[in-house]
Amino acid sequence: MSLHQPQKQVVAGAVPAGAVSGQPSARRQRRDLAPWLYLAPTVLLLAVFTYWPLLQTAYLSLVDWNLNPGQSADFVGLNNYGRVAGSTLFQAAFLNTLIYIGASIPLKVLLPIPVAVFLWSVGQKGHFYRAILFLPTLISFVVVGIAFLWILNPIFGYAKVIFAELGLRFPNLLADPDTAIWVIIGISTWKVLGFNVLIYLAGLASINKELIEAMRMDGAGDITIFRRLIWPLLTPTLTFVAISTVIFTMQQVFTPIDLMTEGGPSNSTTNLFYMIYQYSFVTFDVGGGAAGTMMLFGFLMIMAFVQFRVLDRRAHYQQ
Amino acid sequence: MQLSRPMMIVGHILVLAICLSILFPMAIVLSTAFKPMNEIYAGGLLPQAPTFENFARLFEKTAFGWYIWNSSGTTLLRVIGQLIIGVLAAYAFARFRFPYRDVLFALVLGAMMIPQVLTMLPIYIMMAQLGWFDTWWALIVPNLATPIAVFLLRQHMMSFPNELIDAAQMDGAGHWTTLWRVIVPNLGPAMAALTIIIFIDSWNEYFWPLLVTESAHSRTIQIGLREFLQEDMNDYGALMAGIIVASIPAIAVFLFFQRRVMDTFVSSGLKG
Repeated sequence: MSLHQPQKQVVAGAVPAGAVSGQPSARRQRRDLAPWLYLAPTVLLLAVFTYWPLLQTAYLSLVDWNLNPGQSADFVGLNNYGRVAGSTLFQAAFLNTLIYIGASIPLKVLLPIPVAVFLWSVGQKGHFYRAILFLPTLISFVVVGIAFLWILNPIFGYAKVIFAELGLRFPNLLADPDTAIWVIIGISTWKVLGFNVLIYLAGLASINKELIEAMRMDGAGDITIFRRLIWPLLTPTLTFVAISTVIFTMQQVFTPIDLMTEGGPSNSTTNLFYMIYQYSFVTFDVGGGAAGTMMLFGFLMIMAFVQFRVLDRRAHYQQ
Repeated sequence: MQLSRPMMIVGHILVLAICLSILFPMAIVLSTAFKPMNEIYAGGLLPQAPTFENFARLFEKTAFGWYIWNSSGTTLLRVIGQLIIGVLAAYAFARFRFPYRDVLFALVLGAMMIPQVLTMLPIYIMMAQLGWFDTWWALIVPNLATPIAVFLLRQHMMSFPNELIDAAQMDGAGHWTTLWRVIVPNLGPAMAALTIIIFIDSWNEYFWPLLVTESAHSRTIQIGLREFLQEDMNDYGALMAGIIVASIPAIAVFLFFQRRVMDTFVSSGLKG
């Protein structure tokens, strides 16, 4: 990356300032220690609250324990993994996770692209659209979940009133195992679409508009310009959006699942995250929860790797 | 770039449809919150006799005052802490050369890719052992390191004009003074964008407070809303009032910084 260039100049600029004030050895020692002092809080916090817990989760996945400090944790080896993987809850959660991710690719990763390209071409006049698109990012998922619970309420919800006026019966979407998951997918799309549009706009902002004018002069149409220029240049952003969407889809849908369906009806909306939560904090099966966590970790690593391989081959155009 | 006319029309229709689907549920929530009891279940877009009784009932039935206090207090402390700690780390990565710098930076960025679900169990146990369960400590301390802040601020500090730093150091300013007196005051837009992102994250957080808070004295607004939903499922007027109160701060902070943020975000913020 070209970012390293200014760095060297900066360090070179900093050296004389220290050297001028004499006592080179003491100065040097202080300078060597300084970056570590600046870094200490972040490094310590990440070590204690991110990396160490990750290792500890791996350990917990090998024991049988119920979160009770008085109880000792028994080492059971890989038992938890077999037990969790064999449960119907895990199979439902895994399948649903694939559905959540599969649906999020066209809805959350691809649909924002034409929206962003359009807003980009509109320029400053699109400010109003952008502000509205960003609104759902600001409000919490709890708020969104409760609002849609009210709108979709089968007895006195708002949608039911509108359906009744049109002479239609409004189905109880959240009680039907076939539709409940799509309600949650729809709501989470509603929530993150605008945010992803904004990230694509950031990617588009770095495209040189003169290139487009040049292609225009050569008689290229909108579709050709998009396929030959915008799409390839946007691929690094696409990779970023795809990976973060997959990771965050896991997290984001936890809230609507917890508020609206609690994983039901008949496990049709639960996902791996919600399953881990249930193992760990509903039934206090720490080993099962940790084993589920490690399997989720492996799954996320594989997903990220696949996405890098698929998308990175197309990312050679990066400036 | 100028799109062709038919494309333009399709674009306007698509984006307008999306915007309407975003605004419509919000309009329903807003109007329901101001409807008196007898109107709530009758449909109708605007309240016939607007009232604040839903808000009054919300504060009567729940400990909403406490929730607001807890959300505000923990969010404020967290945002300040995250910004300071992020600035320090970003400065170290941007302005110093030291052994293992690149490895450490990779580890900081790597943490961004580790979602909370992977680490929650041991942290939960840690909180219990420290006696932090059901206190502000549990809500604040585990979230103080912010990889995205380090990444973003480092980028901006690297492109900071060297002349200014040299001038400051010529005047005898050390690293500490340079950082807080020269660099940080000039990082306005980046700091604003970051403040919004962190603020919204913290204010809207659901999962972690759900795990570590138990009593009204430490519960945040989001968890309070969940509890209210479960206890009083059918009082939708008060629930809608609650979600409006819960949404105001994030929207206010956004409007306050909005212009700068949109610009930073779109022009420089998240470029890789």
